[in-house]
Formats: sequence, C-alpha cells, structure tokens
Amino acid sequence: MSKSMKVFMFSLVAAMLLIITACGNNEGAEDNGGASENATENEAANEEAANEEAANEEAANEEEANEENAATDEDAGEVNLYTSRHYDTDRDLYDQFTEETGIEVNVIEGGGDELIERMNIEGENTEADVFITADAGNLHAAKEDGLLQEVESELLSENIPEKLRDEDNHWFGLTKRARVIVYNEDTVDPDELSTYEALTEPEWEGRVTVRTSDNMYNISLLSSLIEVNGEEEAEEWAQGIVDNMSREPQGNDRDQAKAIVAGEGDVAIMNTYYIGRMLESEDSEEQKVAESVGVFFPNQETTGTHVNISGAGVTNHSQNPENAVKFIEFLSSEEAQGSFAEANNEYPVNENVEWTELLQSWGEFKEQDINLSVLGENQQEAIRMFDRVGWK
Amino acid sequence: MRLIKRLRQYLNIWAVLSLFFISIIIIPNLLIGVNLFTEANENWQHIKDYLLQEYIINTVLLIVFTGAATMLIGTSLAWLVTNYRFPLKNFFAWGLILPLAIPAYIGAYAYHGILNYTGVIQATLRNTFDVSVNQAYFNIMTIPGAVFIFTLFLFPYVYVITKGFLEKQSASLFENARLLGSGPFNTFFSAGLPLSRAAIVGGVVLVVLEVLNDYGVVSYFGIQTFSTAIFRTWYGMKDLDSAMKLAGILMFLVIIILVLERLIRGQRNYSFSSANIRTVEPQQVKGIKGWLIFSYCLVIFSFAFIIPMVQLIYWAMLTYEDILTREFITLVFNSVFVATVTAVIIVCISLIVGNYTRLHKGLAPKIISRVITLGYSIPGAAIAIAVITLFIFIDDFIFSILSLLNLNGGIVLRTTLVMLISAYIIRFMAVGYNAIEAGFEKIGTSFTEASRGLGFSTVTTFFKVDIPILRGAIFGGFILVFVDILKELPLTLFLQPFNFSTLATQAYRFANDEMVHEASLASILIVLVSGLSIYYFHRFSQKDL
Repeated sequence: MSKSMKVFMFSLVAAMLLIITACGNNEGAEDNGGASENATENEAANEEAANEEAANEEAANEEEANEENAATDEDAGEVNLYTSRHYDTDRDLYDQFTEETGIEVNVIEGGGDELIERMNIEGENTEADVFITADAGNLHAAKEDGLLQEVESELLSENIPEKLRDEDNHWFGLTKRARVIVYNEDTVDPDELSTYEALTEPEWEGRVTVRTSDNMYNISLLSSLIEVNGEEEAEEWAQGIVDNMSREPQGNDRDQAKAIVAGEGDVAIMNTYYIGRMLESEDSEEQKVAESVGVFFPNQETTGTHVNISGAGVTNHSQNPENAVKFIEFLSSEEAQGSFAEANNEYPVNENVEWTELLQSWGEFKEQDINLSVLGENQQEAIRMFDRVGWK
Repeated sequence: MRLIKRLRQYLNIWAVLSLFFISIIIIPNLLIGVNLFTEANENWQHIKDYLLQEYIINTVLLIVFTGAATMLIGTSLAWLVTNYRFPLKNFFAWGLILPLAIPAYIGAYAYHGILNYTGVIQATLRNTFDVSVNQAYFNIMTIPGAVFIFTLFLFPYVYVITKGFLEKQSASLFENARLLGSGPFNTFFSAGLPLSRAAIVGGVVLVVLEVLNDYGVVSYFGIQTFSTAIFRTWYGMKDLDSAMKLAGILMFLVIIILVLERLIRGQRNYSFSSANIRTVEPQQVKGIKGWLIFSYCLVIFSFAFIIPMVQLIYWAMLTYEDILTREFITLVFNSVFVATVTAVIIVCISLIVGNYTRLHKGLAPKIISRVITLGYSIPGAAIAIAVITLFIFIDDFIFSILSLLNLNGGIVLRTTLVMLISAYIIRFMAVGYNAIEAGFEKIGTSFTEASRGLGFSTVTTFFKVDIPILRGAIFGGFILVFVDILKELPLTLFLQPFNFSTLATQAYRFANDEMVHEASLASILIVLVSGLSIYYFHRFSQKDL
C-alpha cells in the first residue's frame, strides 16, 4: 500500500470518528437548538486534531522508512523488534545490520514481561518479528504462550551451543551470564566457600545478602536448583538462605555488593556483570566497592555454576520471518557477538569469540549441565517455593 | 408522548456526552469488578495463604502515614504562604509546588544514592573523617523510608489545592475570627481548617491514589504492596485472573477512600454571590517569627527539591557526554507532545462533564462525577490491557469495513499514539476533572442562572460566562495533567508505538537496569519541563487574581 493511500485512509478514519461523534451529539442537541453545535464542533475538532497529528506522525515515520529503504535495497523490507535490551552499542549493531542487508530495524524497548503480555494481547495482529529478552525463564514463558516459532538455521546451530538453545529451536541464547557468590575480601577467605548449598550452613548465619524473590535471576537460580537437586532439597535450600540472611531482601544486585563491603553481610548472591559495570562506573566509590570484593564460582566440584542467557526468538505471527532469522543470525555472528555481549560485560555464546580481559581475569568455570529450558519449566514452582519459605 | 418529552429533557447534549465519556472509563473498571466474583484458582489460594495479609498491612501503613504527613505539611505551608509575608515568601509560593516535578521513583533513586554506602554522606564520613556508620541508620529502603519519599514528592498536591482555595476566600472570614480575639493558631483551627476541609481532603485523596498506584518506589525498595503484587501475579505467576482480583481489592479500597472523601467534605456548598470578594491580605511577620517560617519552608524545599536535584545534577555531569545525543531531543519532543495533546483533551471532557453534573441534580450526575475519576484508581497495567483489547477490536472492525468496500489492507491504530493517548485520558481524567470541578463548585450556579435568566442557552452561557470565570481552574487542571503525563510510566512502557520513547521511559529503563547515573539526565529534563510549567501556572494564577 502506498504512502498516500495510507494517509488517505487515515483521514477517512478521522472523518468516520468525526461523524460518529456528530451523530452521538445530534440526538441530544435538538433541545438546545443551534448553539450546541458550537460545542459539538469544538469537541469534534479536538478529536480530529489529535487523530490527524497521530496520522502525520505515522506518515512521517513511513516516509523516513521508505526513503532509507530506497537508498539501499528496494525489496529488503524491515524487521520489527521487541526488546528488553537498551544499550547504545546495540543501536550501532542495528545500523550495521541495516547497512549490510538493507533491512530496516524498528524497535520497541520495554520490560521483558510487559512485551510478552503485549504480544499475548496482540495475538496474530502483532507487529513484532523478533523478541529479545533477558532470562531463559522469560523466553520459555513466551514459547509456552505460543508467541515464538521454530527456526531452522544451520548458522544458529553452529554459532550457539545446544544447551543455550531451546529444545525445539524456538529461542536462541545470545549472551551468557553467571550468578555467583561475591564475597568481601577482608572478611571471607575464598577457601571457606564451596557451593550454593553450603551457604545454608550455620556458619553463614546472618552473613548472606540477596535481593527479593520477585527478581527473575533468583527465580531462575531456584528453578535450576530444583532441576539438579530435586524439589525437596531446593526448598530446604531456599529456607536455609532465608534463615541465614543478614537483612531483609532489598535493592538491586549492585546494592548487594555494597552491603557486603559496608559490613551488612559477608557474601552476596549476584550476577557477575554487575561487578564489571561497577568497575567501569563513573563513580569512584562504586569502583572501590567492586575492587574490594571477590568473585567466586560455586559448585565447581559438584553441579556447576548457574548460568543464564539473554536471547531472541522469531515471533509466531511474524510478517517478516526471513528478515527476523537473518537478524538473529547476525547477532550470533562473530562480528556482532563481541560488542553485543561486551556491552554488558556478559559472556558471548559464540565460542569463537574471545573473552574480554575482565572475563578472562575471573577465569574459566564449570557450568550447570542443564538445558536452559528447564528454567522456564520450573519457574512457577520456584515462585511458590519462595513464598512458602518467606523469601520476600 | 409525555415520556419522550421527559426523556428529552434529561437527554440533552451534556448528558449524552457525559454518558459517552463515562462509558469509556467505566468499561475497564467493570471488567475488574466482575472478575472479583469469578471462581478462584489455586494461585489465589496460595496468595491468600502466604501473601495477602502483608500486602494489605503494607499498603494501609503507606497510605495512612503518607496521607497524614502530606496533610500536615501541605496544609501548614498553604496557610503560612497565604496569610503571612516573610522572607522569600513570593518564591516559596510557587517553589513549594516544584517537588511535584520530581517523580517519586526518581526521588527514591536519588535519596538511595545519597544515603547508601557509596553515597556522598557515607563516602565523606569514611574518606575524610574515617568514620564508619551503622548501615541500618542509613537504610531508606523501608516502609518509613517510603513514607518519607512519598511525603516529600507528593505533599504539593495538598499544598496547591489548599492554597488555591485559601487565596480565593473572603478576607472577612478570617478577620472576623481575629477581631473576635482568636490568635493565629486559633484562627487556623477554628476558621481556616474547617473552611478548607474539602480542599485538603481533595488533595490528600490525590496523594493516597498516587501512593496506591506507585510501582517504581515500592518495587525498588522491596516493599510488597498491591501494585507490586498485581505485577508479580500477572507477569510472574502468569495469572491474569488472580491479578485482576488483586486489582479488584485495590479498587474496593479506593472506593472506600472516595466515599470517605465525600463524607468528610459533607454537604457544604459555600459559594459567593458577588464577584468582588476581597481576598486575604497577607500580614507582615517581622523578626524571628518571620525567619522561623522562612526556615520551615526552606527545610521542606531543600529536602523535597534542592537535595535530590543536586544529586541528579552531579550524576548527570558524570554521564552527559554519552547520553546527550540527537535522539535525546526527540525524547523531549515526544514527552511534551503527548502530554500537551492529552491535557487539552482531558480539560475539554472535564468541562463538559463538570458542567453537566453541576447543572443537574439527582443521582445520575452524582454517580457520573465519581465514576469519571475511577480511572485514577485502576493500576496502569489494567488500563493497558483494556485499551489494547479495545483497539484490536476497533482495528478489526475497520479492517472488515474496508474489506467490504474492496479496499486492501487495514489501518493499524493499535501501534499509534491514538492508543497511548486514550489510555492516558482514562488514567488521568481524575486529575483534570477534580481541578475543574473544584472551580465549578466555587463559582456555584448563580452566575449561570443569571445568564440563563437573561435568555441565553446553556451552551452560550458555558462559553460566554462559565469558561472565562473558570480559566484559572482550566489552566490548573491542564498543568496538573501535563506534569503527571510527563512522569507517567507503566502505560507509556506498555503502549508505546514503534521507535517512540519518552523521557520517563528512558529514565526508568536506565535506572531499572541499575544504571542510575545514566538515568539522571532524562530525570533532570522531566523536572525542568514540569518545573517551567509549574512556574507559568503560578504566574498565570497570580495574574488571574
């Protein structure tokens, strides 16, 4: 449909709304005679103005998109992205993708949960082609809701290790993060640390800090423990952590690191990349905090450290599925992976990409050997478990 | 025949339009209300067993203490500013509205930033004086901490409304009290307080509704309230039904509050029969007493505005180079644009409905005037669901009509600003409407009756008499809505069109992703734009007097 056609139709709708408003008024207007038409017109004009402005806006967007398309490739089209990521480096990557393929990237940024709900409500009418969010739990939820479709792509299978992909290839991990034990270097000897489970021992009473159970990272951690240890032991673990907490759960992951440096606890359960971000912080006090804590990868002798991903899937009702696959393939490629993962101090999923110095300094580690799909499968049980043991 | 005549008498243009707007607003409310009585599932049992009690306790604690504190601060400041002259009074008169420009969640980030381990206070104590403090004394992430934050950034609602009311009161009322030998405190308690009861209660109710709807502060602080519970149940447990039940309980709470408001306001109908009211002339307070009042204002102003702003500006200086790009200007434009359009529409609807409920007695207008403000009580997320569902229906409808006409393709309204703005209107109708209703209440009906007596129609009267008298209230309503939309989060996050962001969503995204430094520039701009509009609002309302 051409641009002018769209504008025309928009005006049509505006006119229709106008008529509807006018009709509605006429029924009541008789009593008041001619004078009321003033008010009617005013009201209608207002509504029209609002519509028209929206229409103009839309038209302007359209124009922009068309122009740029014409500049590169007439038929390349576009890919519409719902993403919960928002790093400036991402935008550069999108531009690079457009440059290479001529495919325009349109973006709506939002919370992962919100975007899932939005797609649920939009159903087959959704405009989204690609959904990107953090946490395998969220991606699994999207899959369960029937929002994603199976993708056959050799390139993706090659670039991304199997356990970081959905069993049915509905979603693909693009960056990897580890949820570890961070300790105060002054008060804790890393030799005292061993596993997540050991933090429930009496010697850690009043020494553990962690954020609230609303947080997806915690939910996924418990989901993974349900998988590797069974439900009963997992619940005992959650209860044990609650008993050993040094304060009520509060704040975000950075706040946990600050708490142990401030002496409000000695060990914190948190994601590694927050330490990376604090090291890069503009605030020298935050750098000091990050420098005085150590990163410990737990369960190295046993079940492995909990890892999670941020990843992408092609939506079930995508209008541009081919472009969507191309886009995800691009993000998993060696050229994009570095900057995509580094933007957030995360681990690249593509094993051909070299780790940053910071990641190398933390060293290699053994990961939990589970397919990340289980994080989603155990999610509901984990949430209830948290409530039962009183983890706020 | 007679029946039809009767019917026509009731169904004039004002009634029809009012009913139309009301039905737009009531549909999402009804959806939630009905859901309260559907069969409970096992999640609901789980929530009742482990969580509900805490949600109720925390929510009630927050609204009771915040309500009381804002009432105390807002009313006392309004009384001092309208009745006395003291150093810098002219500045404080509008400066004390400024905290409204800082969204509570941004205030919370700033205060946590100041007070936490790496914040300026502890860092200075540690690095300069080598003092380590007990973290518990500096922990703001508690219920008292949340009350502190809400009070600082919401008290201007009470202040503005009470001050606006007091300024327009006849001086003779208070002078009589003084002549009869009342001291300043006595005058306040025996004349000022009872007279401005309705205004104070109106302001406190706005504060309470804001607290009930807050998500940013409580989720950051880890306090479980109804609003965090709704999102947790909806997104976490994937259980929309139970989430709607929680929303229903929340709505029930709001209805109780609104009924209480009506009861406290009472049947009072003071309005003036003459246009020439001599308004209160502030008394000069000299010496130590004047400076005492000044200090009180300064302390409140510092905590509620200067301190958090200094923190934000410091953060912005650390990060502006990365943030201040061309895209940033688009954000500013987007924010101002949607806020303006919505505020204009809301003011128009408020005028029409307000005029209808004022001129007609009986049950219907009363109900309408309450129902129209209900949108303010529904969690943003629930409004979002209702609106998005509605627009998908509309889009399908348009599509099928176009297909009938043999035209290809459809028009997609649901990813446009039309949808977002509709949601704003439902959500913020109350803010504009209350301001304009208060204006209508003040002018009473005598001017209108006079005009009608001279043979003018209601509509002519509306444009020639009512609107000019109301221009202060209209402008006030506009500004309040405008500022609220600048700060709005959940709806904007949920319903944004492609490639569209606002200052608020940008600030929230950064802060939510633990990049609070990067969030500061957008926050400052929200404050700046809202602050400017508040300033002009003040200038205008002064001239209007």
